[in-house]
Amino acid sequence: MDPVRKVDFDSEACGSQTPKSKPCPRPKPGEAAGGCSFDGAQITLLPIMDAAHLVHGPIACAGNSWESRGTLSSGPSLSQYGFATDLNDSDIIFGGEKKLKESIDYIAGRFAPPAIFVYSTCVTALIGEDMDAVCKEAGDRLGIPVIPVNSPGFVGSKNLGNRLAGDALLQYVIGTGEPEPETPLGVNLIGEYNIAGEMWDIEKLMNSAGISVTSRITGDARYQEITWAHRARVNMVVCSRALLGLAREMESRYGIPFFEGSFYGAKETTYSLRQMAYLMNDREMERRVDRLTEREESRLAQDLRPYRKILKGKKAVLYTGGVKSWSVISALKELGVQVVGVGTNKSTEDDVRRIADRVGDDTEYIPEGGASRILKTVRERKADIMIAGGRNMYVAMKEQIPFIDINQERHKAYAGYEGLLRLAKELTYSLANPIWKLAASSAPWDKEVPYDR
Amino acid sequence: MSKDRLSIPDYNTLFSEHRFVEQRLNKQQFEAPCSEQETAEALAYSQSAEYMEKNFNRKAVVINPHKACQPLGSIMAALGFEKTLPFVHGSQGCNSYFRSHLSRHFKEPTPAVSSSMTEDAAVFGGMSNLIDGLENSIALYKPEMVAVCTTCMAEVIGDDLSSFIGNARNKGVISEDFPVAYCNTPSFVGSHITGYDAMMKGILSYLYERSGLEAAPGSGEETGEKLNVMLGFEPYTGNFAEIRKILEAFDTKYTLLGDHSGNYDSPATGEYEYYYGGTRLADVPLAANALGTLSLQKYTLKKTQDYISGTWKQQVTALSTPLGITGTDRLLEAVSGLTGLPIPASLLEERGRVVDALTDSHPYLHGKRVALVGDPDLLIGLIGFCLEVGIEPVHIVCSNGDVDFNEVKFKEEAGALLASSPYGSEAALYIGNDLWHMRSLLLTDPVDLAIGSSHLKFAAKDANVPLIRVGFPIFDRHHMHRYPILGYQGALNLLSQIVNTVLDELDRNNSGFNYDLVR
Ligand code: SF4
Repeated sequence: MDPVRKVDFDSEACGSQTPKSKPCPRPKPGEAAGGCSFDGAQITLLPIMDAAHLVHGPIACAGNSWESRGTLSSGPSLSQYGFATDLNDSDIIFGGEKKLKESIDYIAGRFAPPAIFVYSTCVTALIGEDMDAVCKEAGDRLGIPVIPVNSPGFVGSKNLGNRLAGDALLQYVIGTGEPEPETPLGVNLIGEYNIAGEMWDIEKLMNSAGISVTSRITGDARYQEITWAHRARVNMVVCSRALLGLAREMESRYGIPFFEGSFYGAKETTYSLRQMAYLMNDREMERRVDRLTEREESRLAQDLRPYRKILKGKKAVLYTGGVKSWSVISALKELGVQVVGVGTNKSTEDDVRRIADRVGDDTEYIPEGGASRILKTVRERKADIMIAGGRNMYVAMKEQIPFIDINQERHKAYAGYEGLLRLAKELTYSLANPIWKLAASSAPWDKEVPYDR
Repeated sequence: MSKDRLSIPDYNTLFSEHRFVEQRLNKQQFEAPCSEQETAEALAYSQSAEYMEKNFNRKAVVINPHKACQPLGSIMAALGFEKTLPFVHGSQGCNSYFRSHLSRHFKEPTPAVSSSMTEDAAVFGGMSNLIDGLENSIALYKPEMVAVCTTCMAEVIGDDLSSFIGNARNKGVISEDFPVAYCNTPSFVGSHITGYDAMMKGILSYLYERSGLEAAPGSGEETGEKLNVMLGFEPYTGNFAEIRKILEAFDTKYTLLGDHSGNYDSPATGEYEYYYGGTRLADVPLAANALGTLSLQKYTLKKTQDYISGTWKQQVTALSTPLGITGTDRLLEAVSGLTGLPIPASLLEERGRVVDALTDSHPYLHGKRVALVGDPDLLIGLIGFCLEVGIEPVHIVCSNGDVDFNEVKFKEEAGALLASSPYGSEAALYIGNDLWHMRSLLLTDPVDLAIGSSHLKFAAKDANVPLIRVGFPIFDRHHMHRYPILGYQGALNLLSQIVNTVLDELDRNNSGFNYDLVR
C-alpha cells in the first residue's frame, strides 16, 4: 500500500500564529466525536450552487451526507445533487481512477457545470489514487475547471477540512477570472454559508449601506464570482476561524485587508458594517453606515422590547460547533440571556479569550462533548434553555429542556438585526411553549408526595 | 403570551419581491450561461426516452444514492441489545454521519462512539486507537457490551479486530468477562442491510460461543422459550409493538433477537439514559434452544439465518416484511407452523375489520400506477400489498445490487409475485440503480404515486408525483416510524396513508366542478 500523501502544512497550526496553540484538536478515540475533514471541506464548498460536487469514495461518505445541509440557493441547484463514484471492492483492488474519469466526463456532458469539485475520502487517499492528475487531465480535456479537494476524513477534524477547502480555492479558483468592468467591487464574505438564508439578510443590509458583495465564499455563490475574489477591496472572515488562512494569504498575495467579524447580535453587526466601510476607506460610505446602523438599532430596540421582558435573566447553555460561540454570546447578552455554560471544543485560544471577555466568571467551559457532559452543566447551572446543534436536540427533548438549533441544519436565520429579532422570537417560543408545563407535571393520579413528608 | 408583534418575511415571500427577482436575474449572468430556450430544451431532453437510455447506460457515477453503508446498519443491530454500545472502528466522520442519519429518522439520540483513527493509524494500523477507544468509551458510557464494526478505512488497511480486542484484554484494558462482539463492515461492499446482518450474526455467534452452551434446538430449556423472532433492519419502531401484540395473541413465549425499539422510542421522563430496552444478553445463548426462528427480513438477514439453521440446527422460517393481508396471513401461518399453536380468533377478527377497510377504499386505489423504491424485503412486501388492492407497480427500484445480495433469488421472487397478478404485468424491476434513474423513469413513463424514502422527494417533485413516505430514511415527516406497517394493523395504516394521499390529490387538483364532500 502506498503511504498516505502528507498534507503540506502543519495541521496543528490552524488559525493562530502562536506556535503552542492547538486549534484543531485531535479527536479522542472512544468518544462520540464530531465530523471529519471530508465533511468540513464539503460543507465549505457545497454552497457554490452551480458547481457539481463529486465524492470519490465508497457510498458512505456521499450517501450519508447528501442533501442534509441547510445552505440555501436562490437559483441553481446542481450543488444539491448527490454525485458519488460509489467505489466497490474491485475498485479498491484495481483502483478507481477510471471510474472517476468517467464520472467527471458524464457530469460534464450531462450537466455542463461551470466547474466540478472532486472530493477525496479516506478510502481514495488510502489506496493512493492520483486524484490531482485525473482532475487535471479531465479539466484540460473538457475545458472546465475540475478541482481536486484533498481532504480525506482521517487527516483530522472538520475545522481542518474547512481549511483545506480554502486552500483548494486559493490554489485553483481565486485569481482565475476577472469581473465585468462595470461590476462594483466591495467585500468578500468568507465563511458565510447562507444557512437558512442568512447571507440574504446580510447582503440586503450591506446593500442598503451602499456596500456591494464581490464574492460570496461561499454562501449562495456562483462559481465565477469566486474566480474574481482577488479584486475585492476588503475581506471579511465571518465566524470561521478555519478560513483565516485564506484571508491572510489573500492579503499577502493581493494586498486585500481583512478583518474577522460576525453578524450575530446588533453590536457585532454594527461593528462589522463599520469595519467594512472603514477598510474601504470611503468617508461617505462610513456616514451611510452610521446612519443605517443607528436607524436599525433603534428600530430593533423598539421591536425587541416585549421579548426582552420575557428573556431577561434567563440562563442558557451554549454548545455550538459551526457558529463561533463568542458571537452568539454577544447576541444572547443583548437579549438579556445569561450564558452559564459554553462549549469550547472547537474554539481556538483566541476564541476562548473572546468568550472570556463576554461571559461572567462563573460561566462553565465545556471543553469536550458527550451529551451527558452538556446535560450536567444544564442541570448544575439550572439553565432554562440549551442552544446547540441538531445532534444534541433529541437528548434535550428527552430531558425536557427547551432547545434551539444553532448549527448548520437550522431552519432559522439569526444574522443581522432582523436575525436577532428572530432569535428573540425563537427563544421566547421555545421557552414559553405549554408542552414544558405538561412534560414537567406527572399524571394527575400520580402526584408526587409533598416533600415535607 | 402577548400577541406576536413580529412579522419577518421568510425567503419564500422575500424572493417574490421585485428587488429579489431582479437580483436573481442579474445573477444569472454568471450561472451556466445558456438561454431560457436552451434550458427548456435541456429539460425536455432530460425527460426524453433518448436521455433515459443514456442515463441507464451510465456506469461510473452514482447520482442521488438511496442506500446507506454497512456500519450504519450494524449500529442499528447493536442497539437492539441490552446496554450495548455501538463502536465504529475507523475515522470519526463516518460515525457522526451514522448518528445524525439515524437520529434524524427516529428523532431520538443515537449513542455510538468511534475509535477516531487519523493518519498515524493509516500508516501504523488502528490497534492503539481501538484499545484506547475501548478503554475510554467503557469508562465514559458504562456499557455492558461493546459491539465493534469497521469502516472502510480500517478495512483498507486491514486491521484485525479479533486480535486487537485480544490484545486489549491482554493489556488489561478490558476484563476477560466483558463481552466485545465484532464484525467487519466495509462500506465498499453491500449496504446498510448487509451491515445489519453482519452485526446481528456477530453478536449472536459471539454471545453463544462464549457461553459454552450446546444448542439443544426445540428443548426450550431454562426459559421454555418457543420462538425466536428477528425483524432485521427495521425503520419502524411501531412494527416491534405490532409483532409483540401478534405473538401475545398467540400466547407463545418468544425472544426478539435485536429490538432497538426501546432505544428509538423512549419516553421523555426528564432524564436521558444511554440505553433503553433491547434483547437481554443472557437470553441470546438460550435462544439456541428455541423451537425455531422466524425471520421477517429474508434478504437482509441472510447470513444470520444461515448461522441459526447451521450452528443452532434450528428450523428457520424466513419471510420478507409481512405487509398487507396476504403478507400477514403468511406471518400467522409461519408462527402457527413453528409453534404448533392455532391462529387466535382475535387476529382473525382484526383481519376481517381491515379487509372491510380495504373494500371501502378500493375504488380509489384500483388501477393507480405507482413507482416503488426500497430495500429488497420492503419491496416484496409493498409489491404484495399493491397487487392485493389493485394498485399497479410500474417502476421498481431496489436499493441493493452488489455481490453479497442474492439478486437472482430476489428477481425470481419479485418476478413470480408480479406475474401472479394482472396488476403486475406492467412492472419493471431495476436492481442497483439510483434515484436519478428513477427520475428518468418517472418523467418518461409517468405514474400516479411514488412510494419510497424522503430521498425520493426530489425526483417526485421534478415529475410532479405525490410521494408516500415509506421505508428509510424519513427525515422530513414526523412520527411515521411510530405507526406499524406490518400486520393487519399495519395494512390499515399503509392503506390510509395511500388512499388519503390519493384523495388529497383529488381535492388539490380539483377545478371546482366536482369538489365533493363525500368519498
Ligand atoms: S471519515 Fe472517511 S470514510 Fe468516513 S465519511 Fe469521512 S471521508 Fe468518508
